[in-house]
Amino acid sequence: MPEVRKSAPASGKPRRVKRGGGVMSSTGLYIATGVSALLFLVPFYILLRNALSTDAEITGENWKFFPTDIQWGNIGELFTDETVPFAQSLWNSAVVATLHTVGVLLLCSLAGYGLARIPYKHANKIFYAVLGTLMVPTAVTFVPSFVLVSSLGWVDTYRGLIIPGLFSGFTCFLFRQYFLGFPKELEEAARVDGLGYWGAYWRIVVPNSLNFFAAMATITFIQGWNAFLWPLVIGQDPGAWTVQVALSSYMTNQTVVFHMIFMATAVSILPLVFVFLFLQRWLVQGIAQTGIKG
Amino acid sequence: MSAMSNSNWDRRSVLRAAMGLAAAGGLAACGSNTGRAGGSGKTLVQMFHAYGEAGTEQAIKKYAKAYKEANVTTQWITSADFESKLFSTLLTDNAPDVFEFHPQIQMIKSGQVADLTDIIEPVKDDFNPADIQSHTVDGKIYGVRMIDDPQFFFYRKSMFEEAGVDVPTTLDELMEISAKLTTSKVKGLYIGNDLHNVNDTLIWSAGAQHLTENNEIAYHTDGVVEGLKKMRKLFTSGDLLLGAPTESWDPSSLNQGLCAIQFCGMWAMPQIQDALGDDWGIFPFPKVTDSGKQSVYNGGWSMFVNAKGKNVEAAKEYVKWLWIDQKEYQEDWATSYGFHIPPRASLAKEATKLKSGNAAEGVRLFNEFGHFDNIGWTQAMRTAMEDVWANCVRKDMDPEAALDKCDTAVNRELKKLFG
Amino acid sequence: MSTTTTRDLARPASAKASPAKPRRGLRGSPTFNFWLFTGPFLIGLAIFVYAPILWSLWLSFFEARFTVTPDEFVGFENYAYMLTNDDFVGSLGTFTVFAAFIVPTTWALSLGLALLVNRLRFMRAFFRSVFFLPTAVSYVAASLIWKMSIFSGVRFGLMNTVLGWFGIDNIAWLIDPNPPWYWLVIVTARLWLQSGFYMILFIAALQNIPDELYEAAAIDGAKPGWQTFWYITLPQLRATSTAVILLLLVAAYQAFDEFFNLLSKTTWGRPPLMELYYKALGESQDYGAGSAGALILTVLICAVTLLQGKLMGFGRGDESK
Repeated sequence: MPEVRKSAPASGKPRRVKRGGGVMSSTGLYIATGVSALLFLVPFYILLRNALSTDAEITGENWKFFPTDIQWGNIGELFTDETVPFAQSLWNSAVVATLHTVGVLLLCSLAGYGLARIPYKHANKIFYAVLGTLMVPTAVTFVPSFVLVSSLGWVDTYRGLIIPGLFSGFTCFLFRQYFLGFPKELEEAARVDGLGYWGAYWRIVVPNSLNFFAAMATITFIQGWNAFLWPLVIGQDPGAWTVQVALSSYMTNQTVVFHMIFMATAVSILPLVFVFLFLQRWLVQGIAQTGIKG
Repeated sequence: MSAMSNSNWDRRSVLRAAMGLAAAGGLAACGSNTGRAGGSGKTLVQMFHAYGEAGTEQAIKKYAKAYKEANVTTQWITSADFESKLFSTLLTDNAPDVFEFHPQIQMIKSGQVADLTDIIEPVKDDFNPADIQSHTVDGKIYGVRMIDDPQFFFYRKSMFEEAGVDVPTTLDELMEISAKLTTSKVKGLYIGNDLHNVNDTLIWSAGAQHLTENNEIAYHTDGVVEGLKKMRKLFTSGDLLLGAPTESWDPSSLNQGLCAIQFCGMWAMPQIQDALGDDWGIFPFPKVTDSGKQSVYNGGWSMFVNAKGKNVEAAKEYVKWLWIDQKEYQEDWATSYGFHIPPRASLAKEATKLKSGNAAEGVRLFNEFGHFDNIGWTQAMRTAMEDVWANCVRKDMDPEAALDKCDTAVNRELKKLFG
Repeated sequence: MSTTTTRDLARPASAKASPAKPRRGLRGSPTFNFWLFTGPFLIGLAIFVYAPILWSLWLSFFEARFTVTPDEFVGFENYAYMLTNDDFVGSLGTFTVFAAFIVPTTWALSLGLALLVNRLRFMRAFFRSVFFLPTAVSYVAASLIWKMSIFSGVRFGLMNTVLGWFGIDNIAWLIDPNPPWYWLVIVTARLWLQSGFYMILFIAALQNIPDELYEAAAIDGAKPGWQTFWYITLPQLRATSTAVILLLLVAAYQAFDEFFNLLSKTTWGRPPLMELYYKALGESQDYGAGSAGALILTVLICAVTLLQGKLMGFGRGDESK
């Protein structure tokens, strides 16, 4: 189908055209959006309510919309609990998610570019081999992967937490789709200037694709931060726990410490909220440029 | 919409930042190989599931520290993840040398756990014979029992008085009083959200067994079918607490007054005592049929040695030192945190905390009505039996059909294990 | 590695190896550059993705219980076992039900949100953030909130409290499968978690629709509103919709976390991965049968994807390259 893609490097100005409209008045529009937004915020509100309540109140006689006494002390309790190194786990997650993001972006963008733009007779076959990995659920290869990584001696290391997850077929696929739509003229101009593929990539393609890189970075960072099953088995020593693993340790066998679970969850989400608020303005533009739209 | 034009980050600064991070990552990765090889002499790793009672983790680490022959590190695993983590690490070189679990024959057949006969044999007579038997295959003993955990019903005496009901001895009575105890605020009975904690006791209370001595199916009886039908009736009666936030191994639901009766274990007694004072009692799982008998499930935890570990001999030495020689620690472990029954007669005799009140009653039920794990009843068979409950108690499948389905799965297991 | 040195970009990809010009050599060689760009990724993919997959494939032909280095070859026995297993086959039905719920609802909700947000003049970034924010929450965390607070079966659960105001009895949302309220819990959780992401895809696509189309439509007398939506917006979003539906299907098929956390120990509501976990890959440790089941699923999803690709034209871009 004909591509309606705008030229890739974002240069368009915000458009202010009446499109659609009419079905709903402006007031109606804001009411609808506001109500939806409230519904979307309910789980966050519950999270905070529980995080700042006592256990007795969370499971008390009746549902309470607000804690009678806000338990700010729960925050301190989370960071001073000796059995769960929560601060350490936050640091681990930050390192893991950051390096995960840098690595995935680097490897997958290069591979995506190679697959999209460098002529090679087996490129299509290789592309399908990459695409094929999307069809195999990770849960399936989980045990062999673990045995493999363990035999490399990577248990309890950042290497073990990060490296096996760097080779994302999906991200590579997205990059390829994006680069397929990248204007050829720009690269050709670069090559006239005597730059090889490598030079053109770093000097022309990447600097003109930062929106897309930012979008991918957001998504990849979130994935790295929220990963659970893999860090769980790799991080055997509490010193190597990520925040998701630390979180799960609040649900022990005989007792569930409600306020700690919810406080830990709230704190674990916070960094992502900041990352997102910082990067979100590039997200839409970045995605607007993927090949994902067809 | 302000960001459209801002796409020119300085390329070099971005790259430099990325390189810096990558370098830092390399360093961090080199420096983070946590303490596996440290210390002098041998290093052992032991794996425990996370006990809920305060102080348990510190206690286990304290015992390990007191051991002089090797440097023992502890992995304390959140219980919901314990099995998956244990099983997956057992496939690798990073497996713990020593770990706690329940006796299950597939671990022996597949050579995952080491023969501990030589360390147990000298003190064999001091152990509860049932605990020895449940860990024995072909005359060899594969695990050391640390604690026995009988499981039964806990109830609120005051609520019983108010409703004018007595402790039930049959399942019918249990259903009746559950109805009488149910009010708008309190449900009569809580046996866990998935009901699986009474799977085993229902079989025993119906006068049946899981397997015969020749390892053939023995649970598929009319009594069990009748029991399942009654459980279905109970499930739909509205007298059962369902969807509680804590599972039944946690006494919170009883302590918070969500229910009048809860199925739980001996370990919870100190917590319940703290919350309810003297307003509680215990009773065994009632008779399902006239030919059945009340029953108690004697669960518990045992230590095993990883047969494929690097230091099998050292690991055996450690297990012997802690769980056979160090009686002081064994008693501390059994009674200082939650309540557990020490499997050794010489210790059980001296455990003063278990000598009075409800704890003594718990020991009596353990001795009089208790059933131990059958080592031939494996994890896969457990799962098959759990499916029966899901299918015909929570859903309304015909119990006969559900049990037939279970038979197929169990027979497949039996065939693989015993030929 | 080939030493082809074609610099001519206009030539098609299947470059015949023209006699090498030795000097300008490697740097300009497409083949060399292709491997330079893709090599690191492909090597890692081979080690960390393909090796485990092949290992699984190998396992599926062995009696591999409690071990991943088995020695008893059993041929297709594991495949036969999985294919004749009612529960495993039934789980495909469960997946179909789940997909039938979640795909249309997510599609509609995320498109609806995108249309709303795209029309906003003030606070657009704020609302976009609110809707996208759940994407940052893990399935584990969301399951916790859903299970313990919103859909808790006891009287202090939020939903039961709200129902209580209308005099409706407590409902054991996740415990009692009659009626199957658990679908409500599962679907709302997933909707909350993933709609924001797909909303962004739709917003991006909406911004790519040329204004001229709307202007032309206005000149032709099309009323703004349903008419332009139906005749312009929706057709223009076709490619995005197709991609979104495909992504949603793949995500639904990979669903595991929230089922695992919300519906433990049930025999219903088990999509294929849950069934595999309980039957083989989890505590039962029957890696042979588990791998066989997994490969059956993989073949199935490949077939469905290819079929859908043919039907809906996803990935047409490839041929136009």
